[in-house]
Amino acid sequence: MAEAEAVVETKDLTKRYDEFTALDSLSITVRRGQILGFIGPNGAGKTTTIRILVGLSKPTSGSARIAGADCLTESRKIKQLVGYMPDDFGKYNNMRVSEYLDFFGAAYSIGRRDRTKRIDEVLEIAGAGYMKDLFVDALSRGMQQRVAIARTLMHDPQVLILDEPANGLDPQARIDMRSMLLRLAGMGKTLIVTSHILPELARVCDMVAMITKGKLRAFGTLDEIMRDIQQRRTFEIQLVDDDQVARVVSSVQGWLKQHDQDVDVRGAQAETMVRFTTSLNDREITPLLAHLVSAGEAVAQFREVPTDLEDAFLSVANEERPRASAAQAPATGGTEVATS
Amino acid sequence: MSRPLNPLVRREFFGILRSPKAFGTLLALTIVFSIAVLMRWPADGTVDLSGSQSLEVFRIFGYGLLAGIVFLVPAFPATSIVNEKTDGTLALLLNSPLTPISIYVGKLAGILLFAFLVLLASLPAAAACYAMGGIDLFGGLGLLYLVLTLLIFQYATLALLVSSYAQSADAAVRLTYTIVLALLLVTLVPQAFFPGNQGPIGQLATWLSSLSPIPVMMQLMGDGSLSSRGLMESPSSSAFLFLTIVSAMIFAAVTISRLNFRIFDRSKSQGVITDDLGLTARLVRRFVYIVDPQRRKAGIPWYLNPVMVKEFRCRKFGRSQWLFRLVAVCAVISIVLIFAAATSVTSWGVETIGGLLVVLQVILVVVMTPSLASGLISGERDGGGWELLRLTPLSAAKIVRGKLLSVLWTLLLVLMATVPGYLVMIYIRPQMSYQVQIVMICLAWTVIYTLAISSAMGSLFRSTAVATSATYVTVMLLFLTPLLIWLGRDAPFGHSVVENALTANPVGAALSIIETPGFEGYNLLPGAWIVAGVVSLVMFSIFGLQVWRLTRPV
Repeated sequence: MAEAEAVVETKDLTKRYDEFTALDSLSITVRRGQILGFIGPNGAGKTTTIRILVGLSKPTSGSARIAGADCLTESRKIKQLVGYMPDDFGKYNNMRVSEYLDFFGAAYSIGRRDRTKRIDEVLEIAGAGYMKDLFVDALSRGMQQRVAIARTLMHDPQVLILDEPANGLDPQARIDMRSMLLRLAGMGKTLIVTSHILPELARVCDMVAMITKGKLRAFGTLDEIMRDIQQRRTFEIQLVDDDQVARVVSSVQGWLKQHDQDVDVRGAQAETMVRFTTSLNDREITPLLAHLVSAGEAVAQFREVPTDLEDAFLSVANEERPRASAAQAPATGGTEVATS
Repeated sequence: MSRPLNPLVRREFFGILRSPKAFGTLLALTIVFSIAVLMRWPADGTVDLSGSQSLEVFRIFGYGLLAGIVFLVPAFPATSIVNEKTDGTLALLLNSPLTPISIYVGKLAGILLFAFLVLLASLPAAAACYAMGGIDLFGGLGLLYLVLTLLIFQYATLALLVSSYAQSADAAVRLTYTIVLALLLVTLVPQAFFPGNQGPIGQLATWLSSLSPIPVMMQLMGDGSLSSRGLMESPSSSAFLFLTIVSAMIFAAVTISRLNFRIFDRSKSQGVITDDLGLTARLVRRFVYIVDPQRRKAGIPWYLNPVMVKEFRCRKFGRSQWLFRLVAVCAVISIVLIFAAATSVTSWGVETIGGLLVVLQVILVVVMTPSLASGLISGERDGGGWELLRLTPLSAAKIVRGKLLSVLWTLLLVLMATVPGYLVMIYIRPQMSYQVQIVMICLAWTVIYTLAISSAMGSLFRSTAVATSATYVTVMLLFLTPLLIWLGRDAPFGHSVVENALTANPVGAALSIIETPGFEGYNLLPGAWIVAGVVSLVMFSIFGLQVWRLTRPV
C-alpha cells in the first residue's frame, strides 16, 4: 500500500533562548490521517515545537512545513491549515458558546450562513451540541475541552494540534475524547496530540515522538519505539516456596555473570518472586529457565514484565540518569528481602 | 507569653512593600511633596508675616495629598480578597484556625500600614509648611491628617468590600475607583442644585455632600475661591467625620460577614434564552430591555469588525441594554440641568450649568474609558484569549481597529447623550451655538485623548488589574493635575503657568469656551487641540505597535 503524503515535516528544527536550547535539531514527519502522540516531561520542548508549527514562535534554525507551507513565512496559509487547541481554554466572559464559536468563525472569514451551519456541525462532532446556549465562563473544565475542540474545528483545518486534550476529563469523557480523535483521523485530519495520560495516547496514536531536553529521543510507531527502547527487559520468576528466593537470586546472578550481563537481580520473599533485568533476547534467555529447573527449583512462572508507553517514556526520560533497576519496573509490590 | 503578630499583617504589609510599584509610589510621592514645598520656599530671606505664602503651599500640599490618596489607596485593597479568591488561597485561609475577623483585620492592617507610610512620606513637606508659619498645628495640619486618615480607612474598607463581591481583580479595581470618584464628586451635585440646607431635600443634599472630603478640605484650606457655590455652606467637618467612620464600619462589618465559605457560592448561569420562553415572557423582556441581552444573536455580519462585536458581546457593561440606559440617564440629566438654569431653580447662569454639564460628561468619560480600554489587550493576555486571536488570520490592524472602535462607539454614544441638553441651551441663548459646537469638539477630543492614553497604558501590562490601576491613576493625574494648578491660579501659580497646564487636556478649553466662572480668562485654543492631537497620535501609535509586536512570532 502506498504511503500517505507527508503533512507535517520538521527538519533540524532548533530554538535557542540565549544560552538555553529549548529545541535541538528536531526532525519528524507526520503523514495524512496519522495521529502523532507527542510526549516528554515538563520543559522538554513540546510546547516550543507546537508554537513553531502554528506560527506563534520563530525557530532559530531549521524548517517546519505543514502541507507544503512554511510555518514561518506563510503564516496566513498556516492559520487556515492548522487548528490549535492550547492547554489554556481562552474564555471570553459573558459570551454564549454559539457566540464564542461565531466570533472565531468570523475571524476566519467564514460566511454568516455557513458559519451558523458549521457551529452546529462542530458542536456535534465535539459532543457539545447541548452547550450551545450556555455561557462560556460557566462551563466546567471537561465542557471547555469539548468547546475548545469545536473551536479548533471551526475553519475545517487539515491538521489539528491538541495540547493535553484529556486534561480534566472524567473517565467517560476520556473514552469519548479517544473515539473523537479516531473519528477525526478517519475524516482525513492529521493530529498531533500531547498528553500526560500516556495510556490514553497509546490507545489512539499511530506514531509517537518522545522528546526530552529539546532532543528527539524516540520517534516511530509504538512497537518500533518499544523495540528501540527495550534494550533491557525485565523478567519475573514466580517460585513455589519462599525459601527458594535466596537460592534462585544467587543462581540467576551466577548464570547472568557467565553470560557477561550486568547483574541486577532482586528477590521478594513475601511474593516468592525473583525479578531481574537483562538485555538478552528470547533465544538467549530461555536456557536460564532450563538451568533453574535442572538445579531442582520449582518454577511456577517465568515471564517478561510487559512494557507500555509509560515505561518507555520513563525509560527515555531517565536516559541520562542511571538505568532503571529491576525494582523500578512495574510489577506486583512486596517486601524486597534480598538484593544484590 | 507574647501573642504572635497576625500572620496576614506581615504577609500583606511586606507583600505590598516588596512590590516595585509600592516602592516607586513612595519615592515619587516624597519627591513630589519636596518639589511642591521647594517651589514656594522663601528665597529672598524675608518673612511673610501674613502667612499667605505658607497657606498657598499648604493648599497645594493638602489637595495633592488628597489626590494621592484617592489615586493610590483603593488600588491595593481592591485586589486583595478577589486575588486570594481566584488563586484559591482564600479557601486555605478560611480552612485555617484564623477567624474571619483576624483575616480581615490582618488584611486591613497591612493596607493601612502602607497607607500610613504614604502619609509619613509627606511629613517632611508638612513640617516645612508649618515651619513657614501661619498654619495651625492642630486645627490645620492635625485636622488635615485626621481627615486623610479617616479617608484612607473608608477607602480601604470600601475596596475590601468590593473585592469580596468581585469575580476578577480588574472588575474590583474598576468598581472601586468608580465608587470612590462618585463619593468624591457626584455626591456634591445635589448640594449644588439645592444650596442653603433648606427643606428636607436641601438637608439630604447637604448630608450627601458630607460624604465627599472636598468640602471639608476646602474649609481646612480656607479656600472659597472654587466656583462651587454651596460647597462652603456644607454643615461641618463633624458630619464628614461621622459619615466616614460609620460607613467604614458598615463596609468592614459586611465584608467580615462575607468571609466564610459562602463567598465561593456562585450559581452558574443555565443559559436561558428568551427565544425559548413563552410569548408573555418574551414581550415583558422586550418591554423591559428594549434590546434583550438574553435573546439568541444572529451571526456577526461581514461588514462588521468581528473583534469589535466580540468586545461588545463579552462585556457586561458594554452590552446594548446598558448603553441605552446610560444614554437615557445622561440625556435626562443634561436636560434637567438646562431646565434648572432656564427656570431659575438655581442662581446659576447658563454658562455655569454648561460648565457643570462639561464636568459631568468629563467625569463620565474619565470613569468609563479606563474601565473599557485598559483591559483591551491585557484582558486577552490574562484570560488566554490572546493566543487564540494570534492563531486566527486577523491582522494586527484589524484587531486594533476592532478594539478601539468598541470603546469609541460607546463613548461617542455617551457624548451624544448630552446633545439634547446643549440643544436646549442653544434654544435659551441662540448666541451660544458657536460655543456649544466648540465645546462638543473639545469633548470629542477628550474622548479620543482619554481612549488613546487608556489603551496605550493598558497594553503595556500583562495583568488586567495592574493595567486598570495604572490607567486610572494616569488618566486621573492628567485630568486633575491641571485642575489642581488651576486651583492655585491666584497664587502660587501665575496666569501663564495655569494656561499652559490647562492646555494639557481639552477639558480646560471646553470650560473656557463655555465661559465657566474661573476659566474665562484663558486662551486655550487651538493649543489644547494640538496637544490632544499629538498626545493621541503618540498613544495610538504605542498601542498599535504593542499589538503588532504581540502578534509577531517570538
